[in-house]
Amino acid sequence: MIHDAQMDYYGTRLATCSSDRSVKIFDVRNGGQILIADLRGHEGPVWQVAWAHPMYGNILASCSYDRKVIIWKEENGTWEKTYEYTGHDSSVNSVCWAPHDYGLILACGSSDGAISLLSYTGDGQWEVKKISNAHTIGCNAVSWAPAVVPGSLIEQPSSQKPNYIKRFASGGCDNLVKIWKEEDGQWKEEQKLEAHSDWVRDVAWAPSIGLPTSTIASCSQDGRVFIWTCDDASGNSWSPKLLHKFNDVVWHVSWSITANILAVSGGDNKVTLWKESVDGLWACISDVNKGQGGVAAVTEGQQNEQ
Amino acid sequence: GPGRARAARAGRWVRRRAGRDAGRMGGAGPGAADEHRPVTVVPGAVPRRQLCFAWGPAEVLVCETLFGRAGTGEGAPSTSRVFVVRRDQDIYIQTLRKLFNESHGIFMGLQRSEEELAGKSRKAQLVQVSKNYRSVIRACMEDMHQAAISTRDPALQGQYSTQVSILSAMELIWNLCEILFVEAAAAGPLLLRLLDWVRLHVCDVDSMVREVLSSENPSKHKLFWNVVDIFVLQGRMDEARHLLSKEASANPTSMNMYKILDDLMKKMPVPSLGNTQTLTELELKWQHWHEECQRYLQDGTFASNPHMESICKILLGDEDAILEKKELMTTWYHFLVTRLLYSHPTVKPMELRFYAQSSMDLFLGGESSPEPLDMILMAAFEFEMHQVIKECSIVLSNWWFVAHLTDLLDHCKLLQSHNLYFGSNMREFLLLEYASGLFSHHSLWQLGVDYFDHCPQYGRVYLELHIERIPLSTEQKALKVLRICEQRQMHEQVRSICKIMAMKALRNNRLGSALSWSIRAKDAAFATLISDRFLKDYCERGCFSDLDLIDNLGPSMLLSDRLTFLGKYREFHRLYGEKRFPEAARLLLTLMTAHIAPCSFWMTLLTDALPLLEQKEVIFSAEQTYELMRCLEDLTSPNPGSAPFQDDDVETTKVEMLRLALARNLARVIVKEGTVEGS
Repeated sequence: MIHDAQMDYYGTRLATCSSDRSVKIFDVRNGGQILIADLRGHEGPVWQVAWAHPMYGNILASCSYDRKVIIWKEENGTWEKTYEYTGHDSSVNSVCWAPHDYGLILACGSSDGAISLLSYTGDGQWEVKKISNAHTIGCNAVSWAPAVVPGSLIEQPSSQKPNYIKRFASGGCDNLVKIWKEEDGQWKEEQKLEAHSDWVRDVAWAPSIGLPTSTIASCSQDGRVFIWTCDDASGNSWSPKLLHKFNDVVWHVSWSITANILAVSGGDNKVTLWKESVDGLWACISDVNKGQGGVAAVTEGQQNEQ
Repeated sequence: GPGRARAARAGRWVRRRAGRDAGRMGGAGPGAADEHRPVTVVPGAVPRRQLCFAWGPAEVLVCETLFGRAGTGEGAPSTSRVFVVRRDQDIYIQTLRKLFNESHGIFMGLQRSEEELAGKSRKAQLVQVSKNYRSVIRACMEDMHQAAISTRDPALQGQYSTQVSILSAMELIWNLCEILFVEAAAAGPLLLRLLDWVRLHVCDVDSMVREVLSSENPSKHKLFWNVVDIFVLQGRMDEARHLLSKEASANPTSMNMYKILDDLMKKMPVPSLGNTQTLTELELKWQHWHEECQRYLQDGTFASNPHMESICKILLGDEDAILEKKELMTTWYHFLVTRLLYSHPTVKPMELRFYAQSSMDLFLGGESSPEPLDMILMAAFEFEMHQVIKECSIVLSNWWFVAHLTDLLDHCKLLQSHNLYFGSNMREFLLLEYASGLFSHHSLWQLGVDYFDHCPQYGRVYLELHIERIPLSTEQKALKVLRICEQRQMHEQVRSICKIMAMKALRNNRLGSALSWSIRAKDAAFATLISDRFLKDYCERGCFSDLDLIDNLGPSMLLSDRLTFLGKYREFHRLYGEKRFPEAARLLLTLMTAHIAPCSFWMTLLTDALPLLEQKEVIFSAEQTYELMRCLEDLTSPNPGSAPFQDDDVETTKVEMLRLALARNLARVIVKEGTVEGS
């Protein structure tokens, strides 16, 4: 059973991971499906995979029930394990690469409640920072904020490294969404977002389209999906808006690359697509549904909101 | 030909019916649009499973799974599938390529066109743009039609035919919008334009006409009166009269009736395009004419010939009589225009809505419901531009039509800015959607760039987000993308692309290419890494690769220390090769004393000095020799700060040789410097 499938940056490769402990990579150019690699190394079902930015090469991270995070790299045409992290005491549920501007950094959320951050320092070496007890009982999801330089309108001289404020969001079994910020090399909890009444299953920080607002989507065992927005640059006041209350657990939320569509998948065998309309209401614009028998795809409607 | 394809059949291409009321709701709340929300069904047969998904750059991946962290995942069947769900497949249709490419040209021309032209000339310009768009649609229709008739594959044929219908409907709608909105035809010309519109689009009479005219005895042909009727219904008086004359010559007994009818048809007052009469004059004339027709009808002049009587009733605008010819007119909008022609030829634009609504009601007569195409046209007749755009967006499978039409209407200054979610207006919203769709295509993305350029609010950031996802499959493509980014000062994207290309080149062992790219990316760290690789290669093979590149580094040498060293070291070799020994020697020494060379390389440099030390001529001065000796000592002595020195046989031998050579050189140079020249 496949637990996750991710396209690479360009949509040319597909990585899947499964309960059979394998991570598979396919070449999917021109509608083809050629298996390039069948990576073995995990000892339990693999929950998620994540592609790093192509400027670092072809790199894939995977996390598993076996408490391990493995980073795979393509070297000379073959895929190999390049790093294995075993610092968690329990299933690692989610991995997410930071914006490429920060370097090669991977955030990992685990059922042991901790979040670890693996940073590549060069020459095959990785540095680990751990946030213990990030969420009591367990952390289910991590998602990075897009890279925004304070005063980013000013062109930085190329030799200087801009001062990024690194942030990411996490969701946990304590029903909370938390925002973490790096200060002086240490990760601190910046915000606690409370609105869910059951485990938070997924969080997704929306890509930036140049507005000063930040947006996060969160979904939970309680069937609710919230859209959190923060209007000021200092990141202090977040307000939730209920997207929808579903009848079942909502497992996964994710933003399209220009952040204009949010996709949500729930227990009811559907993936629904949502867009915000002019009056701030969120409207569902399409469903992707499981059905019996083969039916040709009907393209999703493009409801133009006035 | 397709130019007059039956747009009525286009009703079938529509996938869902937008009820009138649902279509009117602005900003639908979550529950409201349920029945109208399209569902994409993924073929699958296991009911217990759930769907997980991920966004790709241009698609959504969907796969069956079971959420819930069951530790072992037992009982999972061996096959699992990942579906790729895409929207906007139209960009992959080869025959539509012309549509996208040529409309892009028209769009760009419009954006750059003279805004200073005002009034009539500006309007004429905009009307021309509209006509250009329509001719592109028609050209595409023609291609599509050719494709349909030349293929043997019935499935393909079906697809092409559907496309022809869709394009035909698009042209129908666009043409009406051109008349009502772009040209904004006033009462008088309005009717003429609508008549043209009906003649061009609505009803395919050509084949019927040909059949009748080419027959031996046209007036005896069973379709004869149909053709006469349709001419009358479309206001094509001359053609109607011409046909009637054949009937008259065949039937001398009806000559009298014919002459009167012919005369009435000849005299019918119609609006003219030139300003030869005012509307009031026309109305007056028309009133007289109408009364005359009335008299003839009431006198029973045509009583013995039901066909002619029916024509006279039509001339009088008798709704029932016109409606009897429903099958000929085929659509309610044909009926509308005919009605207007014969009851209110001086109709004003704002009056159209009433006639339109009643025409549709009378024509459909409660037997059938309006289809989406009907709703769109109705919205146009009601001058509800936003409604037209909204309905078209819902019903069409890609954004091409609404994006370009809305842009044109915006240039006509007809759209008030409606604030959408991110504060941009409708024009920009649609253009962003259209252009985003182009980016998933391997070559059409270039058109998308231009569209983003003309979206002032979010075009740039959308371009930034999309352009990063273009696969850089070849160096040429990468350069193309780079040029676009550089032209727009998208520095982050330039850096990112260069880094990606550098990494790719390095992975394929193309060091020269990797170096160029990292220089272009101004990536010092990477440049250092690659320079190290070059140097390593040199040590192993004794020669440099990519000499051209290294020789011509110029100021970019300064990007990283290691790169500078690489460049200078190569220069040393060049000088040596050109036998410019004193310069070479000086450079070699500088590389060490100025700490340009990394410590790990000093041994190699000193070894390089050997041939210079053993030349017949003395090259290194005393001072320089002392420096070299100092370097050697620094390297070999176990100083806490220096790099550890390999203490093995090979190295020891080298050191010995160097010490000897340096000592000998020192001896020679002291003698030389101590000797007075020429003595």
